[in-house]
Amino acid sequence: MIPFVSVGLLALLALSIPVGIVLFLLGFGIDAFFSGFPLIRGLGNMVWSSSNSATLIAIPFFVLLGEILVRSGVATRTYAALDRWVSWLPGGLVHANIATATMFSATSGSSVATAATVATVAMPQAEKLGYDPKLFSGAIAAGGTLGIMIPPSINLIVYGFLTQSSIPQLFLAGLIPGIALALMFMLVTVIICLIRPDLGGLRRTFPIAQMLRALIDLIPIIILFAMIVGSIYRGWATPTEAAAVGVAGAFLIAFAFGGISWDMLTQSLTGTVKITSMIMLIVIGASFLNFTLASAGLGRELTAFMEGLGLSPLGFILVVVVLYIVLGFFIETLSLMVVTIPIIVPMVLVQGYDVIWFGILMIVLIEMALITPPVGLNLYVVQGARKSGSLNEVMLGALPYCLTMLAMAFLLIAFPNIALFLPTYLQ
Amino acid sequence: EDLSVVGSWSSLPLHNQYEVPFWTMTLPEASGGKINVELTTHNQMSLGLGDVYPLLGQGVYDVAMTVGDYAVSDAPELEGLDVPLLALTADDARAMVDAARPMVDDIFRDRFNSQVLAVAPYPPQVVFCNSEIGSLADLEGLKVRASGRMTALLLEALGAEGVNVSFAEVPGALQNGVVDCAVTGAGSGYSAGWWEVSTHLLPIPLGGWDPVVTAMNLDKWNSLDAETQALISSEIVTGFEDLAWASAQDALVNDVACLTGNGECQTGEARSMTLVEVSDEDFARARDLLTSEVLPDWAERSGEDWAARWNESVGQVVGVTIE
Amino acid sequence: MELKMIQTLRALNRKVALLVGFGLLACAAFVLTDIIMRRFGTSLGGTEEIAGYAMALATSWGMSYTLLELGHVRIDLVRTRFKTFGRALFDVFSMIVMTGVIITIAIKAWPVVAHSLTNGSRANTPLETPLVWVQFPWFAGWVWFAIMSTLTTLCALGLLLKRRHTETESIIGAFAEQDTLQ
Ligand code: NA
Ligand code: NA
Repeated sequence: MIPFVSVGLLALLALSIPVGIVLFLLGFGIDAFFSGFPLIRGLGNMVWSSSNSATLIAIPFFVLLGEILVRSGVATRTYAALDRWVSWLPGGLVHANIATATMFSATSGSSVATAATVATVAMPQAEKLGYDPKLFSGAIAAGGTLGIMIPPSINLIVYGFLTQSSIPQLFLAGLIPGIALALMFMLVTVIICLIRPDLGGLRRTFPIAQMLRALIDLIPIIILFAMIVGSIYRGWATPTEAAAVGVAGAFLIAFAFGGISWDMLTQSLTGTVKITSMIMLIVIGASFLNFTLASAGLGRELTAFMEGLGLSPLGFILVVVVLYIVLGFFIETLSLMVVTIPIIVPMVLVQGYDVIWFGILMIVLIEMALITPPVGLNLYVVQGARKSGSLNEVMLGALPYCLTMLAMAFLLIAFPNIALFLPTYLQ
Repeated sequence: EDLSVVGSWSSLPLHNQYEVPFWTMTLPEASGGKINVELTTHNQMSLGLGDVYPLLGQGVYDVAMTVGDYAVSDAPELEGLDVPLLALTADDARAMVDAARPMVDDIFRDRFNSQVLAVAPYPPQVVFCNSEIGSLADLEGLKVRASGRMTALLLEALGAEGVNVSFAEVPGALQNGVVDCAVTGAGSGYSAGWWEVSTHLLPIPLGGWDPVVTAMNLDKWNSLDAETQALISSEIVTGFEDLAWASAQDALVNDVACLTGNGECQTGEARSMTLVEVSDEDFARARDLLTSEVLPDWAERSGEDWAARWNESVGQVVGVTIE
Repeated sequence: MELKMIQTLRALNRKVALLVGFGLLACAAFVLTDIIMRRFGTSLGGTEEIAGYAMALATSWGMSYTLLELGHVRIDLVRTRFKTFGRALFDVFSMIVMTGVIITIAIKAWPVVAHSLTNGSRANTPLETPLVWVQFPWFAGWVWFAIMSTLTTLCALGLLLKRRHTETESIIGAFAEQDTLQ
């Protein structure tokens, strides 16, 4: 079954059939060849219940939030301000991409929405200033993944829901690893650009006065972060509802710092619909594929495989890491979590690991899955915001950051307190 | 005979302690190897809770089990299976479920094209509060997280306000006062750490017992020979239903002990929530509201015929008549 | 003729998308109102339920806009190695497959509606929403998507037969020429 899915996936994707449709086709294939049951009868129910979801509505809300910030000019000013502060580093504007992505991650629960926002403001700069498109776009795709690590985070909400663990604690636990990852991304960029200065483009320094003045342009995003995360921790809104708070905050900020026009509103709304439907076709296709995979016994195969290994806790967790890397190539991330959490998490807990800690480890691996081909939503989103060039460049550019995430995963295993310090300390 | 079976929540004791052994060991062995089972769970299949029975009826899989409450969207008359506060002990709850069984059989046959095999309990749905509660009357004016329509209606009748919060977000909501109280199984509340954020425990089944119905696709059922049908029907009672019910009362006592420290906690560290005893007057009032407001409302939703059938069966057992 | 038709479909679906967008905005406003009202000790109730419905409807009705804006993600690693004729073949083939799948989904969506219709199903919530009220428009959205997909495929086939390969690419290619995000 696994070989069938892998080969089928690659072949159908190579035919340039839309990714979401490919997932449906694979589901039909599994139904026809690997299952004695008429799974296709469940198609309508799967499409209905995977889209009738109050959790997923956070996706269009976060996308809309980003659209408003972009079209009101707030996002561009944030980007320019961070450019003043970080472009002296080897790699120049690539650092601004990472820093901006980190900042927007704090206001967005979705990696795809974060990547879309940053890509839209950053891409025109790359072409203007003559950057290497690979590293430049790869940094956006990778930086965007921080959207689900730094709170708020849709994926952590889903994890908390499925494992019945505390979402506010998960959010606290994601903060340090998220910021650490951002710093590691910048470090890796510096190293790459010291070795290959031609990849990094222009290093620029700005007068201190300009740098200080630029700080004003960061205020809107900080306000927005305070509104969203504050509403969660004050207990005014659930983490999902906070996305709606974010939309309202974005409107207020756009109104105060940029301006709102009818054109901007309609463009933001249609843009939101376009990206949301793009994501949802893949999410729905993935949940149908999951349904067929699970019905055909993937869960049993996984359980038997893991139990058959008879490993020590450390060996076990390393196998889990490899498993998520491999599955992450092919499976869309939300579905990957939904389908594996019920199988993997109980086994992990039996080995004596902490449920909050594992949530953060899983998010690092999920972040990787977002930028590994062939199914890596962030790659597509960044490519979608470019005017030229091929997807290969984005994939290649994301590779060093992928390895950085792997390093982060190992750090988390070696030093669990990177994740657990805040939730334990603030108890 | 190959059976594909979809179990209830894979993380809860009912599945791990009773469903798994029965479907993977007891039944195949009793059949002398004639029955082979492929067992998964609805959450491992990422099925929507409301989809479990409709897909069973369509023959997507052969056997499925989930909380009857999730099916009341399609069958409001099924709400009569799990009326809150009518059964205080596991024995009472089982008597109530047994009395309702012929109704449940008919509902599943007509609505979901399936044959009911067994009805087993989840732990009763008790109340966690983060402020001082002395009686049921104290719920008046409070915001309570409840699942299920009938519980919500009862809460409204008691003067409380029903709030919809998903399970994982309850601790935060309790801590910050988005809700004052929340209803869930005592064991789930214990393992999810609700005792960290709430102070008072009302150990009464305000949310009912959440009976889990196991059913088989009717076409599949009819395709089995009489011998196999008889084997499954009898094995599931002795090998699954009886065991699950037998442990239900002990589980409640243990979970309450674990949450409050009153008694011996065998599953972990005991916590120190305040146990609230509900007085007889309180009960009388709640049951009064149930019979005068909540149940008549249900009778209207499901139709007079069902109310009449309920009066003659469940009503007889619990001593309640819907006007 | 084909291009004119596509122009019409694009204009039409832009209006649909705008409507969907305002629906999502209304949903955000509704959630926000509820959050504020809870501060004052009351509540609209049912926000979670309504948000779910909004998402289902936005998804089914937003799909065809994304299709006509060439927004559904495709991997074009192999496709880009071909010249215009080869690319047009890839595009038309993938449109035909997509249309087939979407039509299947639309057909299989009906039993969901029919089940709720025959059972008079209502949500198991205090709102007791009759599910057909939401599921029928949701189903209609998928039918709409299937129709749009079929018409687009027919237009592309027409252009392919007339050997106007560049124009084929402009209506069903892998990426939009002018990105709406800019
Ligand atoms: Na975030
Ligand atoms: Na991937």
